[in-house]
Parts: sequence; structure tokens; C-alpha cells
Amino acid sequence: MVYIIIVLIVFLAIPAFIYNSLVGKKNQVLNVFGTIDAMLKKRYDLVPNLVATVKGYMQHERSLLSEVTEMRAKALSEGISDDQKVDFDNAMTKALGRIMVAVENYPDLKASENFMHLQRTLTELEEQISAARRAYNAAVTDYNNAVEMFPTNIVASMMNYRRRRFFEISEKERESIDAGEHLRR
Amino acid sequence: MKTLADFKEFCRTDLSADLHALEARRRAVAQKLVYVGAGVAGLGAIALFFIMQSGAPFFPGIMFPVIIGGALFTFIAHLGSKGYVREFKDTIIRKIVKFLDENLDYFPHRCIGRSTFMASQIFKTKPNRYKGDDYVCGRAGETQIEFSELNAEYESGSGKNRSRRTVFKGLFFIGEFNKHFTCQTIVLPDTAENLFGGFGKLFQSWNVLRGQLIKLEDPEFERYFVVYGDDQIQARYILSTSLMERIVDFKKKTGRRIYLSFVGSKVFVAISFTKNLFEPKLFRTLLDFGLIEEYFEDLQLAVGIVEDLNLNTRIWSKQ
Repeated sequence: MVYIIIVLIVFLAIPAFIYNSLVGKKNQVLNVFGTIDAMLKKRYDLVPNLVATVKGYMQHERSLLSEVTEMRAKALSEGISDDQKVDFDNAMTKALGRIMVAVENYPDLKASENFMHLQRTLTELEEQISAARRAYNAAVTDYNNAVEMFPTNIVASMMNYRRRRFFEISEKERESIDAGEHLRR
Repeated sequence: MKTLADFKEFCRTDLSADLHALEARRRAVAQKLVYVGAGVAGLGAIALFFIMQSGAPFFPGIMFPVIIGGALFTFIAHLGSKGYVREFKDTIIRKIVKFLDENLDYFPHRCIGRSTFMASQIFKTKPNRYKGDDYVCGRAGETQIEFSELNAEYESGSGKNRSRRTVFKGLFFIGEFNKHFTCQTIVLPDTAENLFGGFGKLFQSWNVLRGQLIKLEDPEFERYFVVYGDDQIQARYILSTSLMERIVDFKKKTGRRIYLSFVGSKVFVAISFTKNLFEPKLFRTLLDFGLIEEYFEDLQLAVGIVEDLNLNTRIWSKQ
């Protein structure tokens, strides 16, 4: 009788443990994605300030600045999917990069206190976003391993858990940060 | 960073006169100690003779004069060389520190405090025997730094059951980190994974004393270190891909056990050494460049952490 109870407990405990660990891993992925989302919003909040600071100097990049403003409005609109958020994030990263390159042509702007402060804040945010993407990918790796490996894959398929996509880390993020380059800008 | 060639030139122009003056002092002290040693050995031999005459067995009999003589010699050697050691540190080590960076100050008898040592969170055992010396502090470029030699031990039991183990012995460095953060991130040498492979990682994830295990992407970094922290994202913000590379390079350069922690906007680096650092050697000539070079290299290892970890880069909002 005792053996039957032990066997029953084991048979109940193992699936329960697997179930809980899968839910934990899924929640970890969602939690980190939530943090990325919050950081992206923080970056979008900087955009009006950045545009206001540079538009007085940048005469030839008007279209780029209005593109950035429009993109921000779309990214902050209600009801966009996670995939769209990722797409807007990638596009915004590229657009901001183009603005920073264009700043090279405006030495007065580059030297302005306000712009330098904005640039530092943006650099910091970009690094935080990059760290959050890496954390997200680590959480997704854990989750995907659990979804694909035996025996957790059996419970995962019963729970209808599917593999998740990684955040793509651009080549630029993989590179070491060149401080000199940032400071020369 | 100052090169070895710069240091050679510095030795030739600035340090040479001091080295020669101290070398004369060293010879005199060493000679005195040889005489004292010979005297102690002679007294020991006489004592041994009388012990043997009294019919005591050879082995316990010989131990008595050896232990007493050894202790007496160590005590006299310590007293006799004290002034020389002080003078050596005040001139040679101080000048090498100033040569490495004019803004650094050197205090031969101070060390990093025990509370700061514990605040680093690197070591969980609180040492009950704690000493250190050779404290250096000041600003290296943009970064406020301090470091000293430390020897932290934990003694337990009493009488015959007394045992002592080393918590940390080596160089302990503290620097202002160049990014803002609020979390704690601890980087320790990876012993478990090296010994047990994948199972090691599993054991590490169960380490309740250390917080969350942070699995990083750099395989080489992961081979050398294990990272714990209380925030997965901030830990990665601190340990950027470039900093991980730099830490691995630093580990390879030193070839020693390295511990790091990022706590309270500071970076703590503990580098294990078995030898006593920055101490003069009484029975080795000071005019041998190899010896002086060793002091330079050990000091530069600590001061160079600022450049090795890129702490002077201020592209983030922290100035």
C-alpha cells in the first residue's frame, strides 16, 4: 500500500514539477520582454527632446526628423503586436543612428551642452536595451530548451507551448563599444 | 599606461641613487642578521650538547633548541629589519606608485577595511583574522581607485582542534564604476562547471547564498567565471560584451584567480597571490633589476585595472 502511495506521489510530483518549471520559464520570458518594452518607451520619450534640440541646426535632414517623429507616434499607439514593437524598435535604432551620423556635419550642435547630455542618455539607454535583449535571449534559450528536450517537451506540447523567436542582436551591438568614436562625435 | 621601457628609464634617472643608498643599508642589516644567526646557532648547539649529556632522547631533545632558536632569530630579524623595511617602502614603493600615477598616494601601514571587504559580497565567510598593508588611493584619470594587500583568514575551534583557512590573500582593488546601477553582480572563478561540466551549472543554479545565476553568452567568459546577481538585465548592462572580453583578457594576463563584484556603484576586484607583496628581500640585492621590476609589475597590475576594464570611459550619463 505504502509503495503504491509513493509511486502515485512520484507520478503526480514529476509532471507538477515540469509544469511549474515550464510556467516559470514562460513567465521569465514575458517579464524580460516587459522590461524591454518599458525601456523602448523610455527611449521613445527622448525622441521629441532630441528632435527639438537638433532641428534648429539640421536643415537638410527635415524628412529624417519627421520620419522619426511619425515612427514614435506609431510605436506608442494602442494595440500593436509584439512583432510590430520589435520592428519599430529596429527601425528606430537605425533612424537614431542616422541622426547621430548626420550630427557630424554640425559642429555647433555637437558641442552644445543639451545635445551632449541627450547623447549620453541615449547611449546609456541603448546599452540597457541591448542588455535587456541579451537577457531576453537567455530566457528564451532556457524556455526553448525546456520545450524541445525530453521529458519536458511532452508536458510542453500538452500545454501548447511553442518555440519562441530570439531577438536579433545586430552586428553593431556585438561589437565592443568604441568610446573614442562616441566622444569624437 | 607606463611601459617597462619607461620604468627602466625611470630607474636609471630617478631611482638609482635611492637604490644604491638602500643597498648599502640592506647589506649592513643582512650582515648583522648573519652574525645573529651564527650566534643563535652556536647557543643552540651548546644547549643541544647539554641536553644530550643529560640523557634526553635525541629527537625531542633536538626539537627544543631548534624551536626556541628559530623563534628567537625570527624575532630579532623582525626587529633588526623593521627600519630598513620602513625606509624601503617609504622611498622605493612610494616612488614607483608616484611614477605610475602622480595623483596616487601610498600608505605603507594602512589597508582596505574589513567592512569594505565584506561589503564587496565576494566572500561570504567573515574573516576573524584580518590584516593588510600597502594601501594606495587616489584618482587614476577619471576614476577614483584604492587598493591594498590583504590577508583574511578564518580560524575555528580551539586547542588541538584549532584550524585556520585562508578566505583571501592577495591584492584587493576598488574602483568607481563608470555606469549607474542599483543591483549586485558577483563574478567568481568557475570551479563547479570546470569540474562537473553541465552538472556544475545545475549545482551553481541551486546556490541559494548567491542569488540568481546569470548565464552569459560569451563562452570563453563562461569557461572562466560564474556570475550571480539580483537582476538579470542590469547584470548584462554592467557585463557588456566588451567588458566580458576585457575581464577574460585580464584573467589571462594575470594567470591568477580573479574575483569581481559590482556593488553600490563600485567595482571590486580581488586577485589571489600566495607571496607577500611589496616586501623587500633582505638577502637579495636591490641592484638586480628583476626584483625591482617585480614590484613595478605588481603595482601596475592594480593601477592598470582602470585601463584594463576601461573605467575611464565616460560615454554614459555618469560623469
